[in-house]
Amino acid sequence: MKNKHCKLFIVFMTLLFLCGCWDIKDINKRTIPLVMGISKENGGGYKVTLQIPVLKNESQVSRVVTGKGETVTSALGKIRTSSENALDNTQIRLIVLQNNVAHNQQELSGIVKFLMGSEEIPSRALIAVTDENVEDVLSSINDKLGVHASSIYDFFNKGAGWAPEIFSTPLWEMYRSLFSSTKDIAVPVIRSGKNTVLIFEGSEIFKKGKIIARFNPDESQLIRVLQNKNEKGKIESLGFASIMVSNSSIQYRSSLKNNKLLLVSNLHVKINVLERKDGVTNNKIIKELERISEKRFYEIFKQMKESHTDIFGFGQQFQQLISYDDLKQWRSEYYPELKVVFEVDVKME
Amino acid sequence: MTQRIQIGAVFIIMHLSFGYVVYPNLIYRLTETAHWEIILCLGLLQLLLMWFYIKGLHYFPNNDVIDIHLKMGRWAAIVFLIPFVINLIALVSLNIRIHTEVIISIFLPRTPYWSILLLLFFVSVYTALKGLGTILRSSIFIFLFVIPLVLLNIFSSAINFNIHNVTPGLDLPPKFLLNMRFFYLLGFSSFLFLGFITSKTKLIFRHLFVAWVIVTLLLLLVVYIPLLVFGQETVITLTNPFLEAMDSIDISWFSFNRQAIFFGVLLVGLVILTNSVIFWMIGRVMQKVFAWDSSYWIIACSVIAFIIAIVVPNKYLLEKYFLWSSGAQAYFMISIPLTIFIYGFLSNRGVKVREK
Repeated sequence: MKNKHCKLFIVFMTLLFLCGCWDIKDINKRTIPLVMGISKENGGGYKVTLQIPVLKNESQVSRVVTGKGETVTSALGKIRTSSENALDNTQIRLIVLQNNVAHNQQELSGIVKFLMGSEEIPSRALIAVTDENVEDVLSSINDKLGVHASSIYDFFNKGAGWAPEIFSTPLWEMYRSLFSSTKDIAVPVIRSGKNTVLIFEGSEIFKKGKIIARFNPDESQLIRVLQNKNEKGKIESLGFASIMVSNSSIQYRSSLKNNKLLLVSNLHVKINVLERKDGVTNNKIIKELERISEKRFYEIFKQMKESHTDIFGFGQQFQQLISYDDLKQWRSEYYPELKVVFEVDVKME
Repeated sequence: MTQRIQIGAVFIIMHLSFGYVVYPNLIYRLTETAHWEIILCLGLLQLLLMWFYIKGLHYFPNNDVIDIHLKMGRWAAIVFLIPFVINLIALVSLNIRIHTEVIISIFLPRTPYWSILLLLFFVSVYTALKGLGTILRSSIFIFLFVIPLVLLNIFSSAINFNIHNVTPGLDLPPKFLLNMRFFYLLGFSSFLFLGFITSKTKLIFRHLFVAWVIVTLLLLLVVYIPLLVFGQETVITLTNPFLEAMDSIDISWFSFNRQAIFFGVLLVGLVILTNSVIFWMIGRVMQKVFAWDSSYWIIACSVIAFIIAIVVPNKYLLEKYFLWSSGAQAYFMISIPLTIFIYGFLSNRGVKVREK
């Protein structure tokens, strides 16, 4: 009998411990920002801008909060202090860097390392660069009609408004590129639009955190394809016809003979013709598309070779042929010697 | 039959628990290419030791490791097994603390670590007090609940794989077998518990071989998932490569947006069972050597372990001490099977000589 009471007592004791979670702030007591912007002040400190969705208000979908500080952490701390609710950074989906931060290699890699190391900010948040004032980009959403608070992120979201030429570069890939010796990275450039929330302006090429070049959307899209990402859905205008890419795939064959590096890459593209002028044959469309793509590739490749930047990740194809230690000198010693044969094979559906 | 499956489950769970957290970091620091060769070398070495161990145990049917040591003499049991128990106490406390740090960084950022420690200790000590039967039965339950999560983690992380991040080279760093880190790594394989359950069941090497193959495959995956996502150059800069690899997964159509949570839940399950086995081993040794009830010993040792776990001040020292204790564990992993094998071999020959 006594034993039974004892057990009952223990069961009731658990009520004491299971009544709530430790130090957890309830969801209605939290401020959950979706987009974070980082820019540099004239005086030298950082300014952090957060875009926070507002749920109840009909006329405004989000509000923008800023904080300034010597470092990103202290700027975030300022926002935390002045915020009326608990700041919860775990749902940040997009980090926008203003160009004055992005152009400084040391500061940029410092910020990327901080964001990656931070336990709160998820490493799968996407990164973008802007030339405008980052505050304007984030608040521009408020004067557009019919958008909702997540629209800025939806621009990059494959499940929503994403278009095939836009790079979506997550934070962890950016972090990886700081250390990689065989692959560089492209980050999308955006600005606030007049009627739409954002406009895609192309992509910046980063080599170990340093900006090397900027490419327009068409070139960016070719880079995406060469990195073996599908370009399905991309619409291209050839002047006398416009086509839509329905599938694409790429194959690489690397070889190293007598110290000569050769990479043969075959791009297979399947297209649909959307409209054409009278008398234009299929053959002409195919020839023209192949010519344009090849020309575009060799132009980018020449430019990249001059700046020792391997945006296509060609070095990765030589993992089997060059030893790990030698690959560390890939950019300076092997890459300038690399010869690439690029062939495009277009098929009509 | 069921018991064999249960033993296999405990074997796999214990290896995974030790394999997830510090193991990949050590491998990345040991070599820059051909990681699989090191894992296989470790595995084969472990298999060899296991073979000696089981062979040695077969010389004494219905006896466990402690009985065999007691046969050598009580002093032998004290000299060989008491340092082992001390090492186990250190290992259990540091293991729980390391797991606690990871769990905090995944989903309980504001909770103080002592409260999580208390919970983990409480559950594993309770399981250990209930005895081997409970441990074996709960191992099946934890196994069924952990393995789907492990598989989910593996398959969902495949979207970020880039096969070109891994260098396929065969060249290993020279003399890696003599590297201290290799010795530490050996301490991560925890097969010594097998010798403590032989008083009732006879171990069959063939069945354990199956469990060993599964463990080796899982460890290969644990090491290669971060490598395939990040590549060697980046992986050495991360404190928790496996966790970061899980965090990089972004599947928009999947209803859970953070895969790392699954990893955290999985770790809780693994660490509870692993530590309850270790506590049970401690209780067993102390009971047989000093003849006092094992539950008192388990509670006393767990209090000591809890205090050690709380006192360790920071992550740097934590990892250092953990490596020391796993190094000591590796020493016992070599010495205990060999001692039993040699003793069994000699006494067996003695019996045969006398029979003639």
